[in-house]
Amino acid sequence: MSVYMVSEKDAKKLKPSLMAGLIFVLGIVAVLIGQISLNMVLTQDAYQLRSLTIEKRNLATDVQIIQEEVSSLSSPQNLADAANMLGMVANPASVMIDIDNDKIFGEPAPARADGSEVASANLVANSALGTVSEFSMATVASGELEVSVETANLASSGLVLQSGLIPASPTR
Amino acid sequence: MGTHAKLSRRLGAFAVFLFLMVAVLGFRLVDFQVVRAAEIQEQSLETRKITQTMSSLRGDILDSSGQVLAKTVFRYDVNVAPKRVGPVFQTIDGVRTERSVDEIAMDLSQLLGIDYGELILKLEGDSEYSNLAKTVNAEIFNAIRDMNVPWVFFDQFEDRLYPMGAVAGNVLGFVGSDGTPLAGLERQYNTCLAGIDGQETYERSAEGVRIPSSNRTAQPTENGGALNLTIDANLQFFAQQVLADTVNNLSAEWASAIVLDVETGKILAAAEAPTVDPNDPAAVEGADRGSRIFQAAFEPGSIMKALSAAMVLDTGTADEFDTVTAPDRMQLDFDNEYIKDSFSHEDFTLSLAGVLRYSSNTGMTNFASQIDRKVRHDYLQKFGFGSVSPLMFEGESSGILHPVAEWDEMTNLVTTFGQGISVTSLQMAYAYQAIANGGVRLDPLLVESCLNEDGTVAYAPTQHATRVVSTASANLDLELMEKVVEFGGVGKTAAIPGYRVAGKTGTAELKDGSGYGEEYAISFYGIAPAEDPKFVVGITIYKPEGVSNSSKATPPFKAIMQQALKHYRIPPSTTESRSVPSNKYGEVDEND
Repeated sequence: MSVYMVSEKDAKKLKPSLMAGLIFVLGIVAVLIGQISLNMVLTQDAYQLRSLTIEKRNLATDVQIIQEEVSSLSSPQNLADAANMLGMVANPASVMIDIDNDKIFGEPAPARADGSEVASANLVANSALGTVSEFSMATVASGELEVSVETANLASSGLVLQSGLIPASPTR
Repeated sequence: MGTHAKLSRRLGAFAVFLFLMVAVLGFRLVDFQVVRAAEIQEQSLETRKITQTMSSLRGDILDSSGQVLAKTVFRYDVNVAPKRVGPVFQTIDGVRTERSVDEIAMDLSQLLGIDYGELILKLEGDSEYSNLAKTVNAEIFNAIRDMNVPWVFFDQFEDRLYPMGAVAGNVLGFVGSDGTPLAGLERQYNTCLAGIDGQETYERSAEGVRIPSSNRTAQPTENGGALNLTIDANLQFFAQQVLADTVNNLSAEWASAIVLDVETGKILAAAEAPTVDPNDPAAVEGADRGSRIFQAAFEPGSIMKALSAAMVLDTGTADEFDTVTAPDRMQLDFDNEYIKDSFSHEDFTLSLAGVLRYSSNTGMTNFASQIDRKVRHDYLQKFGFGSVSPLMFEGESSGILHPVAEWDEMTNLVTTFGQGISVTSLQMAYAYQAIANGGVRLDPLLVESCLNEDGTVAYAPTQHATRVVSTASANLDLELMEKVVEFGGVGKTAAIPGYRVAGKTGTAELKDGSGYGEEYAISFYGIAPAEDPKFVVGITIYKPEGVSNSSKATPPFKAIMQQALKHYRIPPSTTESRSVPSNKYGEVDEND
């Protein structure tokens, strides 16, 4: 190892330039800024990911709520109760019409609310029923309903079947 | 010593020190970066890595048309941290408002349906945890979450929902509060329905923020498969409605109805009353939580005669014109035993159709006892009695068919009309399916398939066919059974306008100690349309009060069969039944 003694003048010449120092410092600053920017972008992405995950989870919850409502409304128990509330009565006396041979199979009979082997109201338990069909005066004109049921009964009592033939429509 | 020499020595010492420092640091560097690199990296990862379990969802159970019978939903336990309870400040539209604990408690008590006073007590204390409500639904969860109360938090968990309630509840089974399948298909097909929980790891920064792209899936989440049943939920509901009404009206212990598709062996409905709502299994007695169609064996009584008649025809023992004498009481030549009919009558001369029409025990005995007992036992086995079905439903009964060597003289005779043997509703239904299907019995199907989440088939049952009797014998037997519905005292009430129906009534006395008591299991098993069978419907009503014949079993049969024919758009019969001797003189009835 050698050590050299230089004059003051020469020492001044050997002094590092300001420009080089500035470039060095600026370089370091630039690297730091770059690092911070990258970090910010990554962090921002992470927050966005988290926000989207939460949104997805909330939407999935909304879907579940709606699906449960639909399941409840479309369950046979709700449909049976709703039909019953509307005054509908199950009619076990179904009648088949053979169009080709102009024949009717079965005895047409008006549905009765009592004494039928086919229950009209729901008898099958379902504790999962949440949202059920509701009928108010706004959705069902009960007065008109009664009239229409009565009219239907009158019409059916006036139906006369002759030797199993399909009755001709009065409009034909 | 000169200044130069001093300086040189110091510099030399400094250089040595520097070299040593670099050497030490270099050594540490190599140690950290090379020698212990893996270990240190692992330690570092451990502090950053978070492992989380991704719950798999249990698969749905669907009916034959894809309607959901069981599904997995999320439920929530609502908890608070009493230590942190305090007023909540919120900024709404730029206005900072304060909501007091009382106001929040009032809202919570309304949403959760808890008494306000009770709820307030749960908010007091110094703990970090107090449960307010368990198993609340997503709607309530959403409403509470939207309140943005920082001291309210939730535990989310999976729960099982049966949207149709008790529809097919008896076969679906149910799961416990911890998700463990406890009964029925839920338990039997747990391998299909249960998924595999996934495991995911990610890294997080010193600030606790998840580092994107650091996700590693250690175990992918595999949700459970979808179990597709052969059950038609609409028909099942209809049948359950009919049975519930029947059990109420007759004050019966229970009733069951099974609907089989003749051509495929699929069980379209397996209805029972009373039955279980899997959403709330505790609401019914333990005995009502299973499925009696598979699990309850009973002496079938006269419904067995249709099968004995098939044996008589198939063995060539008699044809439709052959007759036997059928007294109302027949003394046997051993142990002073006798066999009698259910009603008093003069001696009839009965053909096989007549035996079915009048449900004569003596007539059936005289026909079928001509067949060797071993041969009859073999037929019974081929019909499927005495063994569990390939469905292997949990707790399924095999019924009781004693080995032929153990048949005493009485058992040998009474098995021809359904005593000395016990069967399940399912067994009797698929025995009738064999008659309806040209003598070929198909394994019954309850599960169509189990499909993985990606649609691939994880499981599909294999079905075997067993020829029990010849096609000719089966078809002729059907024609004989039609006479039950055309002329039988009770059988007539099973007639469905427009369709040819074949069937047989059964009124089995139930054992009371060593003998038979005053209680009955009444049945009607029928097939329609007789000329091209589509469905078997079997009704059994157990211990109806004050009922001693099967007249109460035909209305539910008729209602359910009629519904099945209507539901599946089966066109009415276009042919008439053939005239077959069936009256008490062994002749064709004058109305036939």
